[in-house]
Amino acid sequence: MESCGPGYASPADAIKAPRETLLYTIAIYTGTGIQKPDYLATVDVDPESPTYSQVIHRLEMPGIGDELHHMGWNACSSCFGDAGMSRKYLLLPGVRSNNIHVVDTATNPRAPRLHKVIEGAEIRAKTNLSGPHTVHCLGSEIIISMLGDAKGEAPGGYLLLNNEFEIVGRWESSMGDIKFGYDFWYQPRHNVMFSSEWAAPNTFMPGFDLEEVGHLKYGRELHIWDFERREPVESFYLGEDGLLPLEVKFHHDPDSTHGFCGAALSSNVIHWWKDDVGNWQWEKVIDVDNEPHPEWPIPVPGVMSAILVSMDDKYLYLNNWLHGDMRQYDISDPHAPVLTGQVWMGGLLGKAPEVNGVKMAGGPQMFQLSLDGRRLYVTTSLFSTWDNQFYPEIRERGGVMVMIDCDPENGGMTLNPDFVVNFGKEPNGPSRCHETRYPGGDCTSDIWL
Amino acid sequence: MAMTTYRVTLANREDATFEVEGRRPLLESLREQGVDLPYGCKYGGCITCAAKLTEGIVNQRRQVALNKRQINAGYVILCVARPMTDITLEIGVDSHGDLYRNPFLDPPKHHEPKAGIAEQRLDDGP
Repeated sequence: MESCGPGYASPADAIKAPRETLLYTIAIYTGTGIQKPDYLATVDVDPESPTYSQVIHRLEMPGIGDELHHMGWNACSSCFGDAGMSRKYLLLPGVRSNNIHVVDTATNPRAPRLHKVIEGAEIRAKTNLSGPHTVHCLGSEIIISMLGDAKGEAPGGYLLLNNEFEIVGRWESSMGDIKFGYDFWYQPRHNVMFSSEWAAPNTFMPGFDLEEVGHLKYGRELHIWDFERREPVESFYLGEDGLLPLEVKFHHDPDSTHGFCGAALSSNVIHWWKDDVGNWQWEKVIDVDNEPHPEWPIPVPGVMSAILVSMDDKYLYLNNWLHGDMRQYDISDPHAPVLTGQVWMGGLLGKAPEVNGVKMAGGPQMFQLSLDGRRLYVTTSLFSTWDNQFYPEIRERGGVMVMIDCDPENGGMTLNPDFVVNFGKEPNGPSRCHETRYPGGDCTSDIWL
Repeated sequence: MAMTTYRVTLANREDATFEVEGRRPLLESLREQGVDLPYGCKYGGCITCAAKLTEGIVNQRRQVALNKRQINAGYVILCVARPMTDITLEIGVDSHGDLYRNPFLDPPKHHEPKAGIAEQRLDDGP
């Protein structure tokens, strides 16, 4: 099908897109002791290029202390039919400063430039929101989950921007009884959005306190929204199986009602779907056991901080940030995932302290899969204060990006020996890399109407 | 009207001293005088600018990030804290050694205060 707007006609078309040659990842100095701005790094991933596996450009933010974290596009395949739209701008929120940086990646994809900054103070004043996290586009508009109110208290809400990147206001009609916010994903053909729960910014900013989980300061519920009415209509109480339910992903197939959530502290994958009589159901389908540490009194949870579904909806990838492994599961039967691959890199259990010649600090954290499902790019930093708490040596060593070769036909994953980007060797000193995106859209950016 | 000023000593910056106004946040006063300090939110919520107070008293009632354990360890949030006496601080990320603890490596002991919640913390400032 001829492309008129951005993205692809369908997930099947996205899989056939040309291989990625550049990718963008944010890198932070916030919380590292180095008084420099966070930046957007361009990484060369074209194996034919002389600068393959290197940072080839750094776009610094205007000030220090943003803590860049997640990012999202101004437009995706949800605007495929709109010739007036193009995937030109990447939005980079600062979780701590609340500034939202709009970056033009189209004029020169190798050297993105800053287009506009929506000031955090303006967002707080106009919407009473703080703590920007997930960015999704919605036709010509942009929704950003905000984890707190202007004072950092939960539950926050959703910031709505227009396509000129002006603040429209709050997206939601109501937060209902929702206690916390975090990630969200919507499936328009079913008029549904799912949202998850981390904690109030005032709770997670200072580091992780296990006792505060017991004090119900961290989330354990998933929420189902009437997407058009913009209000929550049902919640799943996940209990001990769903402590810190973070990333939520629907199948890419816009007709599917199946989706998944990674509960970070429980280190479980929750699967949801709509049953034959039209009721939403959930079940736990993956359970990663806590592992004993040779010298510590308390067994260590995996801390499954991210999940990703391949564009063909056949594989689910997850990380265990504290254990140090990346896993691949075949989810052809979403009720019964089968473990088909595992790679160790860093982590607290000492299974892979060095990867491709780089001494690791941190474990697998964020990851992005190529549209064809063959290359998984993995970074190691979670959040500056949590990094400092669990992997204090990351201050000297910085973050790392590696690539895992994945086999979408037979399953399986192996560490690629030729690719490693060591952010410990950056010109201004060790920085830390987090979320990754490609110029043409990727496996966590696009939604089909 | 006479301005009340206090002396700030930075113990981990070779005991450098600065005169600051009592009515203004320490982050602002110190940065104006050329001290390179980390910060993020500038409203007391994100802990990036935490420093360790080793002598003196500050008013940090507006901070909403520190729990009781961190306050007991002497941490103050410079973007909202104002000095009430002459004070001595350790600044920067190199002062954050006691700020975080790994709950699996070093779980809280029985005699230690429980993790605080924000409503209780509001009364902790002088």
